Amino acid sequence: MADRRLREVARWVALAAAIAALVVFVVAQRQSVDVSYGRSPSPPAGVTEGAAGELSDATVPSVEQMTALVRAAEVVRLPGSVARWDEQRVRAAMGAEPMRILVAPPGLDEAERDRVRDVKDATIRVIGTQVTGGAYQATGDSLDDWRAEFAAGDVTNLLITLIAGLREQPPPADVDRLRWREPTAAELEVVAARLRRTGLYTAPGATLTQVPRQEAFPGGDALYVALPRQSPEAPLLRYGPALTRLFPGRPIVELHGDWIEYHGPDAGDFAEVTAAGFYAQFGDRLGRYAYPQATVLGAYLGRVTDVRYAGLFDRPLPYRPADPLRVALPVLPWLFVACAGVFFALSVRSLLRPLRRPRSRPEPGLPARLAGLTALAVEMSALTDRRSEAALTRGITALTAARSALDDDLPDAHVRDLLAGAEADLDEAGRLLPYPGYRPADYLRERLA
Amino acid sequence: MGWVWAAGVVVLLGAGFAVAAVPRLRASALERRTAWSSARAGIATAGVSRDACPGRVPEAEALLTRAETITAGRGGVTAAREATELARRADLLWREAAHG
Repeated sequence: MADRRLREVARWVALAAAIAALVVFVVAQRQSVDVSYGRSPSPPAGVTEGAAGELSDATVPSVEQMTALVRAAEVVRLPGSVARWDEQRVRAAMGAEPMRILVAPPGLDEAERDRVRDVKDATIRVIGTQVTGGAYQATGDSLDDWRAEFAAGDVTNLLITLIAGLREQPPPADVDRLRWREPTAAELEVVAARLRRTGLYTAPGATLTQVPRQEAFPGGDALYVALPRQSPEAPLLRYGPALTRLFPGRPIVELHGDWIEYHGPDAGDFAEVTAAGFYAQFGDRLGRYAYPQATVLGAYLGRVTDVRYAGLFDRPLPYRPADPLRVALPVLPWLFVACAGVFFALSVRSLLRPLRRPRSRPEPGLPARLAGLTALAVEMSALTDRRSEAALTRGITALTAARSALDDDLPDAHVRDLLAGAEADLDEAGRLLPYPGYRPADYLRERLA
Repeated sequence: MGWVWAAGVVVLLGAGFAVAAVPRLRASALERRTAWSSARAGIATAGVSRDACPGRVPEAEALLTRAETITAGRGGVTAAREATELARRADLLWREAAHG
């Protein structure tokens, strides 16, 4: 009995374990979606939508007002717009028929961008630094393009390419008009002093106040310099080379607006790869929206982390303990099948048990009673007369039915019912016989005594 | 690897259904056999009463014929109970006629 209960418990435990394995396996599938080379710990999403603060406070007037503005002037710059270009070259590219250009600020929401697009009189629309016109959009495809676009808001090359596209002419070669200058000793000293204290220098106008936590540069000795977007007309201030001489061996990340440059160790190995991948993927969003510098830097550092973990340059990866779930995952199907098998075996066993057991014994009194009544019927059959023969025959019929019910293993209650019927019939026959002692109750008592 | 899960689920569900269904099927089969055993016994008893009856009782004969027809159709528990009941009524009629 205890053995049987133990098996029953084991059966349910096997079922519970199988279901648990199935649930764990299904829940774990979610984790397999994020594929990362070398299990890089960079955040999965590069630049997150909405919450990243990419919408600015800037807004645009109504479509009618903008249409009126565009009709009044060839170039309309709405308040807050950042795009700049070389007027001379663009006008030369336009040639005899001038085009109307509407420049809107970055960080507009969907409805505001729709309003800008609805100004039909504007041939070319510039939202932030995203340049569109007709069915075309001009995007940068080289580091020079992106550097001009994001460090200085310079869209000259994009405008010229788009104008050529609208005119169905081959675009002229790009011209990089950005010029750089080294900081003066006084400027460098201010930045260096700040970097020695906190590791982060934020120039007036830049929005980076805190460096996002990332594993891009382990050791925590990276230096960050954040500068606002600068004007393309004047040479741009570049601290990187000077700081590399001042802090040899330390990674230096320099932000010009949305443009991020890396100086320092291994720069030749990955700086260009990272920048090209980053701006090719996010350039369109960065031009259209006004992301805070911290968000852009976070996404960039994530990309650097990915490149590091891809093993492109030989740095030892930090030790990461094996995830027990990942280790267990391949075993789960077999565990599940084993549990299902145990459950199946125990279930089948509990089903087969009644068949393998010797045929169930009827209650001990029944066969004896059947035998006694049969003997009585045999004795009576020799003495019976016309009056009692019908009752006796009915009794014998009922005894036959009880006999075959016993042989068929039918329930004891049923056999007992049939025997009771037979006994009643035999009793009736016995009462009709002229001789005493043939009533079943008397006869059985006598025999058993 | 998917087939492992599928096979496991099939085995689990199959075993579960079997454990629930087989005893139930067994019990209903036993109940049916018992009911038919009663019906056959009742019909045999009624037959004996008919043979012992001096006259004919058309109503009882009709009842017994119906009971035998039902038996020939080999139905379930309900059919067996009905046959039993018909045979019992036929038996009573014949007995009353015999005792007159």
